[in-house]
Amino acid sequence: MLALDVRNLSKQYPNFQLRNVSFQLEQGYIMGFIGANGAGKTTTIKSIMNMIHTEGGEVHILGKNMAEHEIELKQEIGCAFGGIEFYTRSRIRTLTDAIKKFYTHWDDAVYRSYLSRFKLDETKKIAELSTGMKVKYSLALALSHGAKLLILDEPTSGLDPVARDDLLDLFQELVAGGEISILFSTHITSDLEKCADFITFIADGQIVKSAEKEEFKESYRLLNGDESQLSEVKDRMISYKVNSFGFTGLIRARDFDPSSSIKAATPSLEEIMIYFAKKEPAYV
Amino acid sequence: MYNLVMKDIKLGIHPMFFISPVLFGMLMLIPSWIYFLVPMYFFWITVPNLFGNFRSQNDMMFTTMLPVIKKDMVKARISVIVILELLHIGFAILFGLLNQLLYSNLNITYYFFAPTMGFWGLCMAMLAIFNIIFFPMYYKTAYKFGRAVAFATIAAMLFAGVVQWMGIQITSMFDIFNVTAADHRAFHAGILIAGIAIFAAFTLIAYRVALKRFLKVELL
Repeated sequence: MLALDVRNLSKQYPNFQLRNVSFQLEQGYIMGFIGANGAGKTTTIKSIMNMIHTEGGEVHILGKNMAEHEIELKQEIGCAFGGIEFYTRSRIRTLTDAIKKFYTHWDDAVYRSYLSRFKLDETKKIAELSTGMKVKYSLALALSHGAKLLILDEPTSGLDPVARDDLLDLFQELVAGGEISILFSTHITSDLEKCADFITFIADGQIVKSAEKEEFKESYRLLNGDESQLSEVKDRMISYKVNSFGFTGLIRARDFDPSSSIKAATPSLEEIMIYFAKKEPAYV
Repeated sequence: MYNLVMKDIKLGIHPMFFISPVLFGMLMLIPSWIYFLVPMYFFWITVPNLFGNFRSQNDMMFTTMLPVIKKDMVKARISVIVILELLHIGFAILFGLLNQLLYSNLNITYYFFAPTMGFWGLCMAMLAIFNIIFFPMYYKTAYKFGRAVAFATIAAMLFAGVVQWMGIQITSMFDIFNVTAADHRAFHAGILIAGIAIFAAFTLIAYRVALKRFLKVELL
């Protein structure tokens, strides 16, 4: 079953446009949602959550239309926005007490177990928690109401490497049961190399590609050659950088002849992002 | 809806604002004061503080992520404000009654409205005017409250000012409210009922308009 099915989302702003954003996430997998700052990640997530009006498109979660079953589906979604803080002067206990009333499947025992696992002290105020602890608290809340789909906007930004690694291990553990699915947006691509099953890449308000991680990377080639070789592939490249040794650039695998003498390698997610960002926006 | 109201009461609103109806109500014990000022403390102090706090705590974003719909968000927030308004009026009435008990033998001269049933009806009408301006203006953005509070407060105060001025200038009106109130119980009850009806009707209209506007708001 599809945990999340986004179909043709469109949204027009004066200086920005979300154009026919479509992607699907199978239940039980982790999807990394990548893109540069301002590419439309948060706008897409807010559209999924029905927080902003879209001009077109549909969102289906666990087989149901979000617009028609908003309350019911929000019971099944755990959502966390990195960097946004709520009621920071309230204690964890006070906040949880107010939140749990909204969820029909709230399980106090599960909540307690996550509190102790994450070493969260209920008497602490939100403002006293570190960035990593705040993300963990959001996750504890989401998991205690039995969320099947976790939508996390930049959950790992601002975390130290240890906390990040810890969180990524947790994500993998959560999806292992096959019931929980995670969509998380980030611009820290190394996180996705570690734990994502699928990658959806958005640039300039448009989905460039949404695919299984290795397939995603294999669909591009990172070329390295001297300047004389550049003219062979220049027209077909997504973008390239020229330096005193020659050039380095990104090309779609289908546009590249493997028998060519130009050195080609599989790019990392970060390289794909960087070369797409260098491309003229009009052609993206 | 109930959960949202409880969320506001437990999380969003400082307990001080549930004590303030009692404290402001006590102002009714000042003999022969301008009693219209008593319910005004609600929109001078409570409303800007509450909405400032909702904004600084990112309440809108927080609430949107809960399993609720926009309609219930507006309904709950307006209900909470109405509860507070009724608490303010309720305690003011209680202390108004105490005022009458305490000072009944002192032959106090009232220059402004005495705390009568009719006066409370006028207070309800004043709050009705506040609501019908404040909520629709606020829910255009659901975070900018300054202009909405200012306009609604000015309108409510203008109403109170004009009515009070009439109550002083028109002798028959002055007598009905301040001299022979006991002989005009039915008239006073009529004003109170009319005030309550206006409050209910205006608040309902305010809710409808506010909701219509809030449905178009983008939660950024």
